[in-house]
Amino acid sequence: MKQSSNLVLCIDDELVGLQVRKILLERAGYRVLTAQDGPSGLELFYANPIEAVVLDYSMPGMHGGEVAVRMRQAKPQVPILLLSAYMGLSTELTALVDLYMTKGEGAPVLLEKLGSLLQLVSTR
Amino acid sequence: MNLSQFNNILRQVFLLPVAALLVVAGALYFQISGANATVNLIQNSDARISQATLVAKLVVDEESGLRGYATTGDLRFFQPFTDAESHVQEEIQKLDDLAGDDAGQKHDINELRERYQTWHDGFALPVIGQVRGGGKASDVELNLHGKRLMDDVRRDLNDIIQKAEENRERRIVQWHQQVHTMLLVLLFLALGMGVLIGLFTRNRLHSVSAAYRQSLEILGRRAEELFQSEQELRTTLDSIGDGVITCDAEGRVQMMNPVARELTGWSQSDAGGQPLDKVFHIINEATRETVETPVAKVMRLNRIVGRADHTMLIRRDGTELNIADSGAPIRDKKGETIGIVLVFRDITMERKTQDALIANEKLAVAGRLAATIAHEIHNPLDSVCNLLYLMRNGATKEESGQFMDMAEQELARVTQISRAMLGLYRESKAPVVVDLKEMLQEILLLMERRLIDLEVTVSADMPKSVSVAAFPAELRQVFTNLITNAAEAASPGGEVKVSITPQAAGVDDTGQKLQAGATVTIADNGGGVADDIRPHLFQPFFTTKGERGTGLGLWVSRGIINKHGGTISLTSDTRQAAHGTVVSVFLATNPTINAGGD
Repeated sequence: MKQSSNLVLCIDDELVGLQVRKILLERAGYRVLTAQDGPSGLELFYANPIEAVVLDYSMPGMHGGEVAVRMRQAKPQVPILLLSAYMGLSTELTALVDLYMTKGEGAPVLLEKLGSLLQLVSTR
Repeated sequence: MNLSQFNNILRQVFLLPVAALLVVAGALYFQISGANATVNLIQNSDARISQATLVAKLVVDEESGLRGYATTGDLRFFQPFTDAESHVQEEIQKLDDLAGDDAGQKHDINELRERYQTWHDGFALPVIGQVRGGGKASDVELNLHGKRLMDDVRRDLNDIIQKAEENRERRIVQWHQQVHTMLLVLLFLALGMGVLIGLFTRNRLHSVSAAYRQSLEILGRRAEELFQSEQELRTTLDSIGDGVITCDAEGRVQMMNPVARELTGWSQSDAGGQPLDKVFHIINEATRETVETPVAKVMRLNRIVGRADHTMLIRRDGTELNIADSGAPIRDKKGETIGIVLVFRDITMERKTQDALIANEKLAVAGRLAATIAHEIHNPLDSVCNLLYLMRNGATKEESGQFMDMAEQELARVTQISRAMLGLYRESKAPVVVDLKEMLQEILLLMERRLIDLEVTVSADMPKSVSVAAFPAELRQVFTNLITNAAEAASPGGEVKVSITPQAAGVDDTGQKLQAGATVTIADNGGGVADDIRPHLFQPFFTTKGERGTGLGLWVSRGIINKHGGTISLTSDTRQAAHGTVVSVFLATNPTINAGGD
């Protein structure tokens, strides 16, 4: 629990996946906010001092790319980690976010990458 | 000059000499009859001369009889006198008759008659009277008187004979002249007619010869034109990139162009007169059974037979080519079929390209499907991984139970998806019974995520199970394509309706036999397809989706549906009130599968 109490926003339309990810991150010492779609996620993002975002790509209505663009417009310093079940997203999309990983790579990888992102921000 | 003119000339050339000869014969007849009349006159003169001579003899007989009687007084010497006296008058009359209308002759004869009568009455009768009376008639005076009278008679007779002879001489001269004239006339007529006939015939023959020369020229020109046009046709046929074979009405090869010779491997000389199916041996690509040649088909149907697909040509050396062929009847002016022309070309490369394109589209579909599946599996997998991590890193028992439940739930989803996939790429060689309702439900399940992404509502109207014989993987490809198209057209916020309408076997309004089967309809309320675009939709590489589309989806779909013996049709409306597109696919329950149709 080195980076204690960092506030992380998780957005994913998959309810089970979202719940599990929340538990995982909380166990890892983060404070976690969750949203099941883009618009509600953005609301939480605007209203709270979010320090990092874990964003799903494919969601109904507004996909991860769009959400990321709006977040960048509002708070460009907040790191975004894009998660997707699809392989090979376009480079324009991956260039928008700080990190991109596919689902199923496992919890350690996710925690490690999120940790490194936050560390990068804190050292900036 | 036409034939009737020519016949006219022939008739003229025949009739003119006949007419000319008739004229000559007429002239000849006239001349001969003139000469004949002269000959008659000559004969008449002869008769007169001999008659006068007869009369002279009778008179001499009378005189010598009288002289003998007068000298002797013996009645025996008197006999010639009485004999001659009895018909001298009669003979004189005959001479008179012979004189005809000749007044001079008549006058001479009357004088003769009178002089004779004078001699007879004035000398003969008195002498006879004296002798009978016993007297002598030797008186010189009396005898001198008798001699004078007799001399008169003789002179008259001589006059008559001399005149007749003069006449005769004159007439003979006349006859000679007539014959001479006749010869001259004949000669000139013959010459004249000969020249006339010659000139006329020459003139007529000239016109015939001119006409003949003209005909020859025209014929020559025609032959040249015919040769030219045949050369042009031959060059055209030789230059055509397709194989062309013409056959007679019995289906024997007449002509092959170079491409046809090359494709079949037969030379013109070997193939000429051979039955077409020997030279052009074609089989079905899939069944390898001999196919009816287009020529046989044309003869049977008596109309143009279009291109047949999936045909292989067995060349003379046994090698095989994919070909496309068509046949058309050659009709004469009366509309009767006098031959058949067959056109074909090598489509081996075309087919390879097509096969490659179809394989490409299959890969593209597979790729899209794989991505969808990966997405569907990765989501639950991610959750399970995370749950396992949590459990391994110290969870309470209660928590572990909860996590395991969640993991199980997620794994069940993976199983469901993998089950749906199982049927997807189970390629089969023969068609199997497919439940259309089940298949469409599976496809919709697999596409659920994508449909949600596109914000499209899907409603399904599938009242009951309908089974058709089909190749499932291919049908899945078709429906996935069609539903994707509909969803993309309706996105965002639109609606896609998928329905199945079973159809019983029967007969429609137009008397067309209907097969039992089902129509799958996929309708969207998207913008619709513009009229100018619609005809291109089923063409390869035509896409309205820019970079995202391969332009092969509908083309391949139609190929698959055709192979299934079904039909695919598209109607669309771009009007504000009722825009949208409807694609209908009819599949028969027991279709005739067009083998090799893919």
